Amino acid sequence: MNSGVWAITFDLIREALARRWILALLLAMTLVLGGMSLGLSVEVVDGALAATRLFGTSLDNDIRAADVALRPVFEAAAYVIFYGGLCFGILACSDFVPSLLAPGRIEHLLSLPVRRSALIIGTYGGVFLVMAGLAAYGALGFTVVLGLKTGVWTPRLLAAALLAVITFAAIFGVMVTAAVFVRSSALSALAGGALCLAGLFSGNRDQLLPMFEPGKERTAFEIFCVFFPPVAAIARAAGDLAASLPIDRDLLLRQLAGLLLFGAAAVAVGIWRFEQKDF
Amino acid sequence: MWAVEAIGLEKDYRRPFGKSSRALAGVTLSIPRGSIFGLLGLNGAGKTTFIKTLLAVVRPSRGSVRVLGGSPELPEVRAKIGYLPERSYYPPTATALTHLRSIARLKGLAPSPGELERLLERVGLVVNSAKVASYSKGMTQRLGLAAALLGRPELLLLDEPTDGIDPLGRLEVRRILVEERARGATVVLNSHLVAETERIADRVAILSGGRVLREGSLHELVRPTSSWRVRFAGAADSQALAELGFTPLSGGAYSLQAPDPEALNRTLEQARARGAWLIELTAEGHGLEEELVRLLGPGEPS
Repeated sequence: MNSGVWAITFDLIREALARRWILALLLAMTLVLGGMSLGLSVEVVDGALAATRLFGTSLDNDIRAADVALRPVFEAAAYVIFYGGLCFGILACSDFVPSLLAPGRIEHLLSLPVRRSALIIGTYGGVFLVMAGLAAYGALGFTVVLGLKTGVWTPRLLAAALLAVITFAAIFGVMVTAAVFVRSSALSALAGGALCLAGLFSGNRDQLLPMFEPGKERTAFEIFCVFFPPVAAIARAAGDLAASLPIDRDLLLRQLAGLLLFGAAAVAVGIWRFEQKDF
Repeated sequence: MWAVEAIGLEKDYRRPFGKSSRALAGVTLSIPRGSIFGLLGLNGAGKTTFIKTLLAVVRPSRGSVRVLGGSPELPEVRAKIGYLPERSYYPPTATALTHLRSIARLKGLAPSPGELERLLERVGLVVNSAKVASYSKGMTQRLGLAAALLGRPELLLLDEPTDGIDPLGRLEVRRILVEERARGATVVLNSHLVAETERIADRVAILSGGRVLREGSLHELVRPTSSWRVRFAGAADSQALAELGFTPLSGGAYSLQAPDPEALNRTLEQARARGAWLIELTAEGHGLEEELVRLLGPGEPS
């Protein structure tokens, strides 16, 4: 990457970290992790979870292997990070490209010795790094707190968070392009939300397909599923991964490759349009 | 050598339903290096669009433009340009120093904090931690000017640089622009303030409807006057002055028609000989403003 891209990325990260929404999320995650550290009491005897108390209230009296007992907890955390992260990212990051294109700012940026594509790539990269940092903070914090309490150390929640970040990257690619076509944070968020919703349908393709009559309707839904990234399926994979459940690795890799291709294509369309525009 | 060479520049903005509006209709202009060049014209004359084409912010529909010997599409050409846009936008969390650091990074510069502080002081801003969002219009203009001056650019494109700045501040801005010219920079100034342009510009172009109506040095554009406003000390003999051709105006002033400097001085000598001591002499009519009104005013050819 050239220095222009880095300069834009650096500025975006600094701007993002000064925004209330992102500071509020960081604070909320810190409070939850702090509350868990102080209020969660776990007794582990010979690798088995003997007793769990949250702020003095007993949660579960069954004696089970600690790693097995924690699986649903990690699974729930993976879903919270995945869907919570997507919703937060769509709402909190919808303004970055419209703000970049604000009258007065964009003319000045374009007058500088930076290629037009660098402005979009730098902004995209900055948002990606901010969201990756937030997801890593949440997943790592959760893993460390539970690891210290139970002695169960697993990187699976971090892997699940990575899936969430890759999914967001594809969705944000569409948001960038929408904002380049029409400079509106509402429209950008709407595009992200609509894609996320479409991804819920396409990710549940196998469950939904029998609901359509064989013929044109079913074919249309199958085509729909080909075009939109299977967000729900990747979320399930993230949950399964965090819960140490078996996953279809090849299928997941194919879905991720498709997701990355989709995101890259969306950003490429945005850059193409941005190159044509007068400001 | 030319800092800017624009040949037959046209710009059509496409509008919905196939309509288009023409912002530039064949602008041909050459701006010499090391000069202050003023762009004048009414709103919508095409001044801002012209400046934007010099930065490749707006791409011309037809014609060509060369800036500092190259295409403005090239980042290495734009690296030698400082630009102050008509409207300024700053991220709400930016301070003057963080904004300048950000612009410096994008320009590939690494100025020391001392250099940035001196630059801010030069444009009349105090270095502190105040957010730019709390700045007045005049202060944001000063910050924009500081950003344009970063890296000692060879060409300064300034769109309404004194908009919102107080009269003393305007004086400071004019001083800075003259200093920039003295160090060899070319300044292209787009301003609604004709008097301001007249004070510092070496050459001026008057634009209307996307065309250049007139272009030249101030001397070429401003026609010599034959009408003078005169004031004398004390109680001058108005009867004697009237005989010499002085027409009384309100407030004790007189108007005098003199076709050339020789006739003017001859009449004034005669007035002095009759005890009228000159304390004020002002040329009337045919300054740049009058020329602009003549070209663009209502009912006049444009």
